[in-house]
Formats: sequence, structure tokens, C-alpha cells
Amino acid sequence: MTDSRTLRLQRAMASLVLDADEEALEADPGRPARRLELSGADQGSFRDQGPGMLTYRELARMSLIEPLEDMFPVLKALLEGAGVWDTCVQAFLDARTVRSSHYRDIAPSFLGWLSATGWGQDRWPFLLELAHVEILEVVVARWPDSEPLDDLHADPAPEDLVVLDPAAQVVSYAYAVHQVREAAPVPEARPTHLLAFRDAAGEAHLLELTPATAALLVQAQTRTLAQAAEALNVFDLAPAMDLLRDLLRDGAVAGFQSPI
Amino acid sequence: MVQGRYAGVGLGLRRPHLEQVAGMDSHGVPFWEICPENLIGDGGRHHRLACAILDRDPVLTHGLAMSVGGFDPWDEEYLQDLGDFLIRAGTPWHSEHLCFTSVDGSCLHELLPIPFTREAVRHTITRARALQARLPVPLLLENITYYAELGAAEMDEADFITAVLEGADVGWLLDVNNVYVNALNFGFDPKEWLSRMPLDRVAQLHIAGHKKFGGITVDTHGADVIDPVIELMQWTLRRLSRPVPVLLERDNHIPDFTLLLAERARIQHAYDAALTLCGNRHD
Repeated sequence: MTDSRTLRLQRAMASLVLDADEEALEADPGRPARRLELSGADQGSFRDQGPGMLTYRELARMSLIEPLEDMFPVLKALLEGAGVWDTCVQAFLDARTVRSSHYRDIAPSFLGWLSATGWGQDRWPFLLELAHVEILEVVVARWPDSEPLDDLHADPAPEDLVVLDPAAQVVSYAYAVHQVREAAPVPEARPTHLLAFRDAAGEAHLLELTPATAALLVQAQTRTLAQAAEALNVFDLAPAMDLLRDLLRDGAVAGFQSPI
Repeated sequence: MVQGRYAGVGLGLRRPHLEQVAGMDSHGVPFWEICPENLIGDGGRHHRLACAILDRDPVLTHGLAMSVGGFDPWDEEYLQDLGDFLIRAGTPWHSEHLCFTSVDGSCLHELLPIPFTREAVRHTITRARALQARLPVPLLLENITYYAELGAAEMDEADFITAVLEGADVGWLLDVNNVYVNALNFGFDPKEWLSRMPLDRVAQLHIAGHKKFGGITVDTHGADVIDPVIELMQWTLRRLSRPVPVLLERDNHIPDFTLLLAERARIQHAYDAALTLCGNRHD
């Protein structure tokens, strides 16, 4: 079954909006319609309405690129410094990976594309981690709310499991990507463990953890604190208990649960 | 009493104002318009504030990305969530744009024009009816600004919109700024254009600011509404002779809430004056 004229026109518009080679399109806005073998009259509508057609290109690309500029300012600074930000954005647009109608999903789509393609990571092996940390606080701040579990208690015991707040995440990086800034976008190569969480007011925070604390927080979600500590050769649980109480107060930990 | 509850000039509920609006006992805004895409599946502080407002105040809902004129399959899971959301919000209708926003699964996040052709009319009617069948409230379609005709047109915009609204048997969210902007870009008289249209289908109006870039005027929602657009709103209200709700859109260069309230009051004054003239005050 052949595609309808309407669909082929819409594909030509998508091509006009997303394709590379701005100069060629400005010189000949009829290119996408011609490449898709639309009728002469339909090709003419692209060719003869150049300024209007190119307005769509500008508006749609602004909608798709602005969230990247807003969410990944350090990544953008790094790539602009190397003269390849526009190349990166165009490669992302070429991949047509923005599948969600939610505007807030554009930036996560970019992160997913970086992860799937490895774009730029031969030259900048920290690129994916940098993008991830730039989006991390926003993801945590906007994590969907859920009903609190009703079988949690507030004071941890060695035989308890740790239940993180649903928005909280323990992340580990090979680079200290949380310390970069636009003026100095290259991170130090240093194993880094972070707890990302939001407080009761909804503000997101990043807390740097020691490797042992990060491992304990991860492991104690599926085995008791005492078992997790033993596996990690942590012989004195008291400091960890104090930290867990602090994390409960700050909103990173939802509570503690007796194993079933 | 939908009309009484939603008459007057409302505002789009925007993120920078959520804290302030949620904390106000009385703000004078008769209703808010919210975009369900921005709330469904979201969480955190701003989400809680927005939900508190929609649980407290009258709300109309306005979608951005359903791609009514497109070909991609519906996201049935999202439509289920949307239906639940519309019921919770208590909105009397849900509006979407008469456009397409995605192609072959790729979402372009821009309101793109449907070809003004008989084939596209038939396709859009089918899609609008299918969407209406999935919603728990009546569907309105909004006329968009367009900057070029997609493909060789077989009819003009007025005939295209009329054919879709009547063929799908849906209501019309009439954006008077979009009519004005299209009139500037394509050189027609907006009142003559409106006189040809099925105004009996109008359930709501939109009004907004725009800006000229080179030779093309763009619907930016980023500036105060100019007097000719307010006058066009008044002309339309007098033609309608009924107090349909008007929504002031402001999505860019969003001013302080106090300034936005003042802009709303200016348009409310014009709204009241228009309805007084036709002897049909909304209050």
C-alpha cells in the first residue's frame, strides 16, 4: 500500500526541519520534497514559500535544541570549545530519537542517544557521565510522587533493610563530573560516588559518598545492614547508623524495614 | 453551568508563578488553563503545587502534542492517563491543536500545518473522531498560525478548518491572535475571514502577543496583546453574543505575576465592555 500524499508531505516537512545542510536548504527549500519525489505542485509549495518553510525549521529546531542548552550547559561549553556542539546536536537530530510528546523528555532522549551511540566518547571518555550528572538533579527533583510505604520505621537496626526515597539515586562515576563548570568543563579522573535526593521542600541535592558508604547504601536495600556491612568488611556500624538517621531526616531515606 | 463557571479572562498556569498562585487565597483569575502533558507523569514540588491549584480552582485543559493531523498511532496508555486527569481536573472540555507534531514516531515539538487538501480533511476528521472517542469530555480543536501552506492547497484555511470541525463534529477553540497573525502573513481581512466561519462551534477563545521577524509575524506568546487583537476579540464576542471564556496565553518572556494580572485585567475590561455592548453581560 502506498503512503498517502498527506503523509509524504509531512515527511518532507520533518526532513526540512531536521536535516543537516542549512545552507543548501536555504538556497533550495524544495530539496526535501524533491528527494521524497512529491508531485511538481507539492515541490513548488516548498520551493516557493522558502521564508515560511524555513521559519518552521527555525521554530522546531529551537524547541528541540533549547532543552539541551538549558539542561547540559557544561557539556555544551565543552563541545563548543572544541567547535563540535552543532555537529553533536545535528547527529542527535539525525537519529530521530525524540519519541516522546513530553517536552521534558527531550533532554533524557539526548542522554539515551549519547549512551546508545557513544558519540564523542573516544575523545571525551567522561562525556556520558558529564551529561548524566547535569540532568541528575532535575530527574530527582521531578521524580513522580508515590504513596509512602506503611511498614517502615524511623530508627535503623542492624537487622533492617534500608529503603531509599523513590526519588533518591546512588550513582557511581569514573570522573568527578559533579565538580565541573562551564569555565572548566573537563573533570578530574577520580572514582566518584554520589547520592542524589530531594528534601521535604522538593529541592534536589547531591551528596558525595565514600566508596564504602555508597556500597553499603546499595547493598543494604536487598540484604540487612549487618549482612551488607559484613560483606564490605565494615566492622563498626555506628557511624553508618548516624548517617542513615541524617539521611532519613534530609529525605534521602524513606525509612527502614524489617525483613519479611 | 459551564458558561458561568468559565466566563471571563483566564490565564495559563505557568511554572514561575506556581508558588505565588498556590499561596493566594484570592487572585481574581476566574480559571486557569493547564497543559496535561506537563503534569501527567511528572512529580516533585512544582507538580504538587500545580495539582493543589487544579484541585482548588476552575481549570480548562489544553494539549500540545496529540498530533491530531498526524499518522502515528495513539499512545493508548497516555490517553488513559489523560482521561483520568481530565476527570480529576473537572474540565468541561479538552482542547488540542489542528496540526501535526510527529512523523514516523519522531516528535518534532512544533505545531506543523496540515495540508489544505480533501485527503487531509478526511484523514483529520477520522483522527479527531477517534481521539474524541477516547476522551471523557468534548474535544475542541484550535486553529493554529501557519507560515507556509504544506503542499499545493486545494482549498483555503477557512474551508479546511470548517470542513474538519463540521466533519468531526467537534467544538472550536478560536485563537483570535492566530487569525490576526495569519491575516498579516497572508494578507486577508480577519473579520471577513471570521464571518465565513462556523462561530456556533466556538466554546473558548485564545488571545496572545506576537512578534515580527523579518517579513514574517510569529505567534510568540511572548509579548503583551496589541490593541488590534483585543479589538478583534471584542468583535468576535459581539458576534457570538455569549460570554465564552477567553484565555490569555503567555509562554515566553513571562513577566512577574503582578504584571500578568494587570494584563489580564486590561483584557477583562475589554471583554466586559464587548459583552455589555451586546447586552449580554457574563455576570
